[in-house]
Amino acid sequence: MASILAAHRRVPRLIQSLSSSRLLATAVSPTATPSSSSAPSVSSSSSEPLTHYRITLRRSAISLPANIKGTLVALGIHRRMQTVYHRHNPETAGKILRVKELVEVQNVPESAVRTKTEQRRERKAPRGFVVVGNRLSEGVLESA
Amino acid sequence: MGRHVAPLIAFDVDSRVLHTMFGAFRPTASVHVGLLWKTPWRLSPTRKANVRDRLKKVDAVIEAVRASGVECAALTKALELPKEHEMDPKDKYTVFSPHDRNYRKGIHKVPKFTRITHRTNPKGF
Repeated sequence: MASILAAHRRVPRLIQSLSSSRLLATAVSPTATPSSSSAPSVSSSSSEPLTHYRITLRRSAISLPANIKGTLVALGIHRRMQTVYHRHNPETAGKILRVKELVEVQNVPESAVRTKTEQRRERKAPRGFVVVGNRLSEGVLESA
Repeated sequence: MGRHVAPLIAFDVDSRVLHTMFGAFRPTASVHVGLLWKTPWRLSPTRKANVRDRLKKVDAVIEAVRASGVECAALTKALELPKEHEMDPKDKYTVFSPHDRNYRKGIHKVPKFTRITHRTNPKGF
């Protein structure tokens, strides 16, 4: 019991995360978006041209013909719920239409395109603290 | 003469078939010989609602490709398909079948019907 209390004292104080995109579940935010799918909606006020397809696999191709499976391989999709971005062109359009029953598509601007590592980084929950200093870097050892 | 309790999973050594409580094939009550395969001849209201939902989702995909402004043969063909609100309920929930009465059978009898596009049937049927 005492160890738990000691651990509490050692935990750094909670500083508001710089990335306020993730709010606590119980927090009431006036700018809370209505509950919808995790796919971000492109605001109609955005004036950027929509140049890419945002393709998410919603249904698997298990026990579907090999050509359908091959289309998903060609799109770079390996698992359900994976999202890939492709520039608008007739080849990609044809691939999407081949797997239209399995896939969810949105048109997004270039600024919304994310690579696999970028998507992974955005999925991560922010730490509840920000490191503002370090005793070692402040030079405490030199004075000792 | 104790009560016969059906096991959750049983392997029929003679016919080499795995019987479970779940799945399309279920064992008969007391004698695990043969398979009982019953599916309703028509879709329930829930399944019909799900069919409509899936059709709308495919419509949204075709619409997204159309809105992108790209032109291709697949898109021309896809735009010829009727949209969910343009379809007859008969076409949404049944398909043409040359062997059945009235030349129609439930769409749920088509393999992979939840992941396949089947909107049109021969004219007049």
